[in-house]
This record gives sequence, C-alpha cells and structure tokens, in this order.
Amino acid sequence: MRNPAHAVRPAADPIVRIDGLSKQFPNGPLALDQVSLAVPRGQLLCLIGLSGSGKSTLLRHLNGLHRPTSGDVEVMGVDVVRAKRSQLRELRREVGFVFQQFGLVGRLSCLENVLSGALGRLRAPRFGVLSYSTALRRQALEHLDRVGLADRAFQRSDTLSGGQMQRVAIARTLMQEPTLLLADEPVASLDPESSAQVMDVLFRIVVEEQLTVICTLHQVELALGWANRIVGLRDGHLVLDQPVAELDEREVMDVYRRVEPGAGPAASPDRAGERRATRIRS
Amino acid sequence: MTALVDRPTAPASEPAQRLRPPVTRRTLLLRLVLVGFLVATVWAWFFIDMSLTAMFGGLGDMARLLGRMTPPRFDDLDQAIDLAFETLWMAVIGTALAVLLSVPLAFGAARNTTPHAVVMAVCRGVIVATRAIPDLIFAAIFVRALSIGVLPGILALGVHSIGMIGKLFADAIEQVDEKPREAVQSVGAGKWQAIATSVVPQIIPGVIATTLYRLDINLRSSTVLGIVGAGGIGFLLQQNLRSLQYDRALGVVIVIFVFITVMEFLSAAVRTTLLGGDRASAGGRAPKGSIGAALARRIGAAGPSRQGVEEFDPDTVRPPFRGERRTKTIYAVGFAVLLGIALRSVQLNPFEVLGSLSDMGRVALRLLPPDFTTARDGIWTGMLESIAVALVATFLGAIVSMPLGLLAARNVAVNRAVYLAARLFVVFLRGVPELIVAVLFVSAIGLGPVAGTFALVVGTAGFFAKLIADAVEEVDPAPRDAVFATGATRSQETLVSVVPQAMPALVGNLLYVLDINLRVSTVLGIVGGGGIGFLLFNSLRVLRWETTGAILIAIFAVVYAIELLAGWVRKQLL
Ligand SMILES: Nc1ncnc2c1ncn2[C@@H]1O[C@H](COP(=O)(O)OP(=O)(O)OP(=O)(O)O)[C@@H](O)[C@H]1O
Ligand SMILES: [Mg+2]
Repeated sequence: MRNPAHAVRPAADPIVRIDGLSKQFPNGPLALDQVSLAVPRGQLLCLIGLSGSGKSTLLRHLNGLHRPTSGDVEVMGVDVVRAKRSQLRELRREVGFVFQQFGLVGRLSCLENVLSGALGRLRAPRFGVLSYSTALRRQALEHLDRVGLADRAFQRSDTLSGGQMQRVAIARTLMQEPTLLLADEPVASLDPESSAQVMDVLFRIVVEEQLTVICTLHQVELALGWANRIVGLRDGHLVLDQPVAELDEREVMDVYRRVEPGAGPAASPDRAGERRATRIRS
Repeated sequence: MTALVDRPTAPASEPAQRLRPPVTRRTLLLRLVLVGFLVATVWAWFFIDMSLTAMFGGLGDMARLLGRMTPPRFDDLDQAIDLAFETLWMAVIGTALAVLLSVPLAFGAARNTTPHAVVMAVCRGVIVATRAIPDLIFAAIFVRALSIGVLPGILALGVHSIGMIGKLFADAIEQVDEKPREAVQSVGAGKWQAIATSVVPQIIPGVIATTLYRLDINLRSSTVLGIVGAGGIGFLLQQNLRSLQYDRALGVVIVIFVFITVMEFLSAAVRTTLLGGDRASAGGRAPKGSIGAALARRIGAAGPSRQGVEEFDPDTVRPPFRGERRTKTIYAVGFAVLLGIALRSVQLNPFEVLGSLSDMGRVALRLLPPDFTTARDGIWTGMLESIAVALVATFLGAIVSMPLGLLAARNVAVNRAVYLAARLFVVFLRGVPELIVAVLFVSAIGLGPVAGTFALVVGTAGFFAKLIADAVEEVDPAPRDAVFATGATRSQETLVSVVPQAMPALVGNLLYVLDINLRVSTVLGIVGGGGIGFLLFNSLRVLRWETTGAILIAIFAVVYAIELLAGWVRKQLL
C-alpha cells in the first residue's frame, strides 16, 4: 500500500537480489568476495559466520550505508549502487535496520527515539518530542506498547537495560512501517534471557507484519529455531545456503570451522514459507 | 631447538652500571623547553633594556604613584557602578552573539558534519583567526570603523569569543557517538534531520558548559574595553588618568576589583550549590569547578526520569513537565530573560547587533590588501618587542609564582592560615586585569616595554600561581609519605617528591602562560606598554587601514605559531 510500485510485484519476485558483490575497504581487507544471493518476499533468512566474515558489511550494502567495489545490489526494485541520494532515502524508509549497538540517542527519551523512526516521512529537522504531531506521538506510543515498554515512554533511553534498549530500537523500526527488516546481531550484546525476549518480540512482529527479514546471528540454535533459510559466510565468501529443514547443526557448525566445508549449492528457498507456520506454533 | 630450551630465563646482565638516569624523549623535551625558554628570556631581557635597577626604580615609581592615588575618592561612584553593570551586560550580549555565530561555524568546521572540505577549511580559518586576535584589538578597530560606544565592545567580545567557543563546539560535535546517527539515517532521514535528532542532543551539555565558561572569561575582559572607547567601566578609568585625577582613578580600580571578585565568588557560590561541594569533574570541556561544568552536570543528572516510570497523559502523549525538561526550561528562560535585560539596559535591539555584522564585513575589506612595506621596520621591531615582553614577564612571573603556588596548595602549605592567605593573595592579584595594571604602570614609570612587562608580571603571578597550586594539589600523596618516613624535612620532601611529580604540568603550563602573555603583550602598546600594539593603534588613528591589516596578519602568525607549539609540547608532556 505504501508504495504502489511494490504492490503490483508478484510475491515470487525476490525482494533482495545481490549479484557478484565484492567490497574492498580502502587500506582494509577484501570483506566480501563475489557474493550472490536472492531473497524472496516473506522469507526469514539468517546470516551466520565467524567474526569478521563480512556479515555486517553485507547488510550495510543493502540500504546503502556502504557502496560496493563491484557487483550489483537491488532491493525492492531499486538499484542501490546507482541510486541517487533521494532514491536511497526513499528506499531506507522501506527498510528497517536493527543494530547490535541499538543506535539510540541516550540523552533522549524512549518516545523521542521511537519518533525518529518517522523522520523519513517528514520534511524538516525535528528537535524535542513536541516537534512531532500528536498523531505521530500516539503512533509511537502504540509501537512502544507492542514491545512492552509503553510505561517507559519518557524515561531517558540510556537508563534502560540492554534488552529494553533493543526493544525501543525495534519500536523505532516499526515506526518506519518497513517492508524489509535487516537486523545485525540484534541480541549479541544481551544475556540469554533478554535475548530470548527480544527475539520473541521481533519474531511476533515479523509474522504479524509479514516482513521479509535478513538477520545475522551468532547463536546457531537461535538461528535454527528461527529462520527458514540459513546462509553462511566465511572470509567474504558465501559457503552455505540452505533451507533450515535440510540442515542439521553439524553442517551449520562447519561454517565456524577453519576447514572448507563441502557446502552444497544454493537450495531452492521456496518451501521455506510453508515451514514457517509450523515454527510459529512450536 | 635445544638452544631455545636452554636459553637462560634471567636477562643478560647489564654491561655497565648506570649512575645517570636514562634520557627519555620526555625528559629531553622537558629540558629542551626549559633551556630554550631561558635562552630566549636572556635575549629578551636585553632587547627591552630590562635591568635590576630599572626593576627597583620601577617599583619605587609605582609606590610613589600609589602614594598620590591614596586615599581613593569615590566621587563618581554612581557612574562607576552604572558602568560596571554596562560591562556585565556587554559580556552577556557578547557571549550570546558569539554562540549564535559559532554554531553554524562549528558544524561547518567539524569533520563529521561539514558539507564540503572547502567549507571546513574556511570555518576553521575563521575560528583560528578570531582566537589569535585579542578582543581589545577588535574593539579598537570597531571603534574606529563604527563609533564609540557599547556596540563595538559587544562585537569585539562576540567575534573574539568565536575562536574558543567555535573550537570547543566543533570538538564536541566530532566526539559524538556516531551509531545513533547511522541508525537515524537508516530510517531514511535527511542529513540535517539526522544531525538535529542524533548529534544536537549529544552536544548540548558541552555547549552549555562552554558558553558559561566563556561568560566567566568575558566578564573579566569586558572591563578593559572602555580603554579604547568600546563601552564599560574601563572608559572611566582612562578618563580619570588622562586628567591626572589619580585618587579618583584608584576609586575606579577598586570598583573594577570588587566587580571581578564578586563575580568570581558568585560563580564559586553557584558552583558549590549546584555540586554540593563535590569537586568531581563534570561533563563538557570546561575546567572542573567552573559554573559551566556544574550546570552541565546538573542538567545531565536532573530529573527522576532516570529511575522511575514517568506518568503522562496517553492521549496527548506530552512529556511531563518535570525533571530534566523543567530544569532545561528554567535555565533557558533564565538566560533569555538575562539577555533581554542586558539588551534593554544598553539600549540596543537585537537586530541592530546583527545588522552591524554586515558593517564588520566592510571593515574587513578595508584592511585589504595588507601593506607590509610602509611600516616594515616598525612591524618587525614591534613584534620582537611584544615577544620579548611576554618572555621576560613569563620568566619573572614564574619566579614569583613558584613559591606562591606552593603555599597556595592545600597539601603543601605550611598551615591553613598560610594557605588561606596565599589563596587570597592570588585572588587579589587576579582581581585586576593586566591591561588596567598596565595603565597604572605606564602612568607611574612612563611609556615603554618595562611598564608593560611589570603589568604582565602581576597578572602572570596570579594566574600561574593558581595553575601551580592546582597541579600540586593533584600530586600523588603516597611517595610523599615514603619520603617523610625517611626523616626528610618539609622542604626536602617538597623538592624531592612534590616538584618532580608536578614538573610536567608546570612546564606545560609555563608554555600556556607564555601563550597567553603573548596575546596580552600585543595589546599592551595600546595603553603605552610597549610592543606592536602601539603601531597598531597609531595606524588606526591615522586610518592607514592597509597597515593595520598587515599588523593583524603579523600578530596572527606569531600568536598562532606559539599556540601550536605550546599545544604540541603540552600534548607530549601531559
Ligand atoms: N569501515 C571499514 N573500514 C575498513 N575495514 C572494515 C570496515 N568495516 C568492516 N571492515 C572489515 O571488513 C571485514 C568484515 O567485517 P564485518 O564487520 O562485516 O564482519 P562481521 O562478519 O560482521 O563480524 P562480527 O561478527 O564481528 O560483527 C573485517 O575484516 C573488518 O575488519
Ligand atoms: Mg558485524
């Protein structure tokens, strides 16, 4: 509804298409080497790999925070590599991004942080909660309610626990009303209990909103229980790409080993959609 | 392999026993700085014809002048108090103007917010230039170009303060956490939206701290602007001295002294109320203990919103008017009211102040192209004389302030009475701005660099003693106990454990003091205290704007070079 161009697109059409993507940081490593990937609408994809394998780098290419050295990135029909700044803004509005370090402005209240998620829809710079309309403030409060933090609306966000901060960050993403959600290790800096809580909230919302998700995770069990497709990276190479049902934990753990695993070719992700329903119940 | 295993675990014995300490980069630099300073001082001493007879003769002249000044007369006390308030309002408006001008400059100068490299270079250039040229010089130029009155004084304070405020603002912007900004940008926010939402809230405490710190400084420096006709109480002093009414002049000096001291105590009082006597360092870049730091801390810590759940009306979703929001509002309204009163009292409307900024542009154009040739020799010797005055004054000031600083340090002073007396003396020395002391010395011993040097020594002694006392108070007490435990006397202990520990800070501060003294010595000439200021003032009097331009460039080059040098050495030492 938000973007008519997307509404007419058939569901099978991939929402993200990465083709031969390479990234060489100036004076840095070759962080991504010829990565290709297509993600269909509605998929829950988990990206795993050792630290430094290029997961964050890959995600950051999807909303234009990084520019590739070579290769193509297309997200929701937008050519991210060649997009103009205004087109990129337009795209980012549709793409939610959850950061490992939350990215909250600590001195601002939770509500104001959530409200900043609406900036893509607004024109002028904003300063202070009252510079947003009442309707937006109500909307932000609802989103805070969905992550269970409505009563904290005017608490300073740097006084929250890590799990609460991440939930505020999720509420901010909801404020964007995204179609695609990118999450970069959303629970890596949290204890197991908060992790479970945050992942539950995220999962519920993703299902309710029928979002497409690409999420990097270090916890393999979480990834297996959560995703319907797993993609593994090592040293910037794509070394694993399979639907969860065809995987066992050993194969996944291989990604974290030094030896090259005999990773199969990219599997068809189409069956993944069906499997999601079962996972919700479990 | 076996060789590796068999290798002895103990390190090979030292080839020869060391009886001298190893020379590290740091100690070498320390010595180099001290030797360089001493050599330069010897040259300077002869350059300005300083001598011990001149020194004692000067002190005698000063005593005679003081004799003629006492008892002070307060005939024009009403006028003096009015002018003291005018001084206060000038400082408030000038600081506000500086903040207003600094904000866009700082965003342009900060690496992470500047729109373009060229913009960045221009903004940084403006900030550096305004910092290097003293406010009194700006005041003299504006008086000549616009008119006599408070407006040029306010503009001078405003423009010169950009140098410090703009730099500290830009530093604050460069130090923000970039993660929130990235997050806000990834929702599709534009550049300025992201800055307003994620950068601005982070720099606000620093902005407030810097502003109030600068207000402290401007309160002092605005008292002298009247000397060149730029409004405030300095004008009255100059008038009385010109008409040789020395007793009245002393009355004005006392009013200035009281004004500055009251302001200093007021700021100390506000500080203790806000911090509850806690000396812990506060946010921002302001030195610990300044009002600014205290306020910033107060605002940062304000409000129950840190712990409890805040109540609010879920319908309107308005933040409750409590805690941080109330504190901020009160301070904002308070400052606005103060500014309003200030503008009313000096009968300026804000648009007039802003409108005159365009006049400044015209003034700047008149300085171009700079004419170095007409007064080449004058500029050269004037500059050398300014440097020499700064060097000798720093040297003599350091000699006076070493013992004074040690006595004024709580942990070294012989007893509490001595400590309090020394601290009070320091406050007394700092209570009268150098330039006003210079006016007095010039009246006493006549025109020339010796009078200027004397004045600068007085100022240096107070300022340096305070820096020394603060540095000494931070010395680690553990080695001191160890030295006492060997049966050392007080003075032995001080020399063996306190001075070495405080040494890097002392040398670093020595250069800092030299840096400040050089700035002051470039303006001493305006009141006849020697140095380049005389030529500058002359070129303004005869409206040789291009020569003025050349002198400004010369001052800028020297002051900036010393600032860079001092900054570099300090970074190596501290
Ligand atoms: N801005 C940058 N400049 C230079 N090198 C970078 C930059 N960002 C990432 N890299 C490098 O690129 C490689 C991949 O980094 P990336 O952050 O994508 O790894 P990751 O898989 O997300 O690791 P982690 O699990 O620790 O988050 C690393 O070697 C990293 O050092
Ligand atoms: Mg990462």
